[in-house]
Amino acid sequence: MSSIEESVGENVADAPTLDLDEIQAIVLRPRPAPYFGTHVLLRVDNAQAGRAFVRRLAPHIASSANWWNAPHTWLAVGISYTGLEALGVPKESLESFPEAFRQGMAARARQLGDEGVNDPKNWGKPYGTGQVHIGVSAFSDSEEKHQRALAVAREQYEGFSGVSALGMQHFGAQPSDRNSLGYKDGIDQPPIEGSGVDPLPGQGRPIKAGEFILGYPGESGVPLPMPQPDIIGRNGIYVGYRKYQSRVGAFNRFLHANGNTEEERELIAAKLVGRWRSGAPLTLAPEIDNPTLGADPQRNNNFDYANDPHGRQVPFGSHIRRMNPRDTKLSRLTDVNIHRLIRRGSTYGLPYDPNALSEEDDEAPRGAIFLFMSAKAMATIEFLQQEWINDGDFIGAGNERDPIIGRQEEGATFTIPKEPVRRRIHGIETFNVLKGGEYFFMPSLSALNWLANLGG
Amino acid sequence: MTTLERTRTEDRVPDKIKRVQELYADAPEIGRVALKNGLENLKRELAAVPGRQSAGRIGARQGKVSELTAIIPLEPGGGKRIRGLLDLLEGNFKGADIVGTLHDMRFVLLENDTKLLFCTTYDGEWDAYIDDFVTKIPNSMDILFCNCLGWPGIRSPKIKDWLVKNQITADAWYVSNPDMSVAQAHRLERVGRAVEELLDKIG
Repeated sequence: MSSIEESVGENVADAPTLDLDEIQAIVLRPRPAPYFGTHVLLRVDNAQAGRAFVRRLAPHIASSANWWNAPHTWLAVGISYTGLEALGVPKESLESFPEAFRQGMAARARQLGDEGVNDPKNWGKPYGTGQVHIGVSAFSDSEEKHQRALAVAREQYEGFSGVSALGMQHFGAQPSDRNSLGYKDGIDQPPIEGSGVDPLPGQGRPIKAGEFILGYPGESGVPLPMPQPDIIGRNGIYVGYRKYQSRVGAFNRFLHANGNTEEERELIAAKLVGRWRSGAPLTLAPEIDNPTLGADPQRNNNFDYANDPHGRQVPFGSHIRRMNPRDTKLSRLTDVNIHRLIRRGSTYGLPYDPNALSEEDDEAPRGAIFLFMSAKAMATIEFLQQEWINDGDFIGAGNERDPIIGRQEEGATFTIPKEPVRRRIHGIETFNVLKGGEYFFMPSLSALNWLANLGG
Repeated sequence: MTTLERTRTEDRVPDKIKRVQELYADAPEIGRVALKNGLENLKRELAAVPGRQSAGRIGARQGKVSELTAIIPLEPGGGKRIRGLLDLLEGNFKGADIVGTLHDMRFVLLENDTKLLFCTTYDGEWDAYIDDFVTKIPNSMDILFCNCLGWPGIRSPKIKDWLVKNQITADAWYVSNPDMSVAQAHRLERVGRAVEELLDKIG
């Protein structure tokens, strides 16, 4: 394939230097380990009061300055399209935002494949109602500092009229930094050019900053379309917020139905994701888990699929091979570097319980809220949902879907390639059910001030 | 589709027959006779579950497969260049093979080579891979489509709007295997060969 692919021609001569003072901290700072936090969802009932809230909050929103060496506590803020309307953003500016963002995530259910159990009509309130105007997230590496940061956020709207809290979702890492299905997560992030830090081993070459942050050249050599005026768009980023409920009982029943021993079940769990629950990648630890490897950021992502062309270590259909195929030969002309997202996952609810097997366990509040961020997050999430999550053709997996975040249909299967014949497992279910979602725009710090001072 | 929805589709058949009869009331006699004689067969099709879907922003879709139909005015001299280029290719589209989602492409120059009829059948959603064309095969796209009036260049953020402006959604479209993607067809060819080999060995 590579001989036919073309070079893009003139690239920008100098690597862009990111305005780290302007970009919100959450964009570049990795999730703390361990992590504690809260997402607050707010409604603006009055434009002037909403802008006053933004004005009070803005000084507390951390930037990405010195992000590699900054404190592990920060506040971030995102505004939905209905939120921009509610704040009184002028019509010409509103119309310069992309269509999918303006419609909102619930209205894009068809393009996102959010149907059946994931249909917005099954979502919990206030998601998809158009009332979620502003989202504020507090992240920290300690419960105490998280509570202090959250208190600072609350002081800016509590006791003021015109801004109402619709909901508050606390989250935090489970024991050993695991997610609601028992895996260490959030390991593989896209490396961003000009961010000031070399990629970790295995991250690949840095991707042009404009794919992620508005106002910089992207992989094609030109910046992606940016909302206007420049002051609101530049250094901003779009966020897809998706809340999943983990059906832990169904997940464990599936493992028990297909593995007779603890070892067999753990191997199947590893094949579904492409990593052992410790985070150790199957490429580097194909036979048995290696928790030391899983915990080492210098090594746990340092691999490609050059020696695994048949998927015998990491199945083609596994979660990590789908979400970042690396050097896998794909059946469709694909530039893997333009379908990446910065992810900030946040696990909420009960910890994973390997002994939870009942249908009641499926409903116990427990899951993850993902923040997927890029300069075209709406288009990328739609692409991923259509092509890499709820289909398998792109990677030779036929009609199979992502075993972790896919929405499975009746009779779904998961194939584990091996010698002499593959093992095809039947009865895979939807293990993570979508319970809500919103699109936000996360403005730069200057854009926050511009928004705060609209209308004088 | 639920049982309830299916019943509703069947309920609509008498009404549909009435409407097609009204449509054909002033048709040429040959058509009126044919409708009368062929009504039984038509009933079955009218009663079938609807297959029409949208391919996204524009275009029709059946199962996994979508259609794109466009009639595009050409730049002065553009028709000559496209005709010359297509002649030189002599029917080889190796570049299109690597795209992996294209079932076919049809180029027809119309009205003294001043317009291009471009039709293609492809897998999936309307704009899923356009960004990949931008970084992977920008020159192939620009060499061909620069001849079209107002082509903004494949790298332009206006490219999707330009395509929509020139595209016409098919009024009707038939697909024999709506769930057969290009990738799936290749896979089944491989499986078929492997099965034949196995049967050769044991037969």
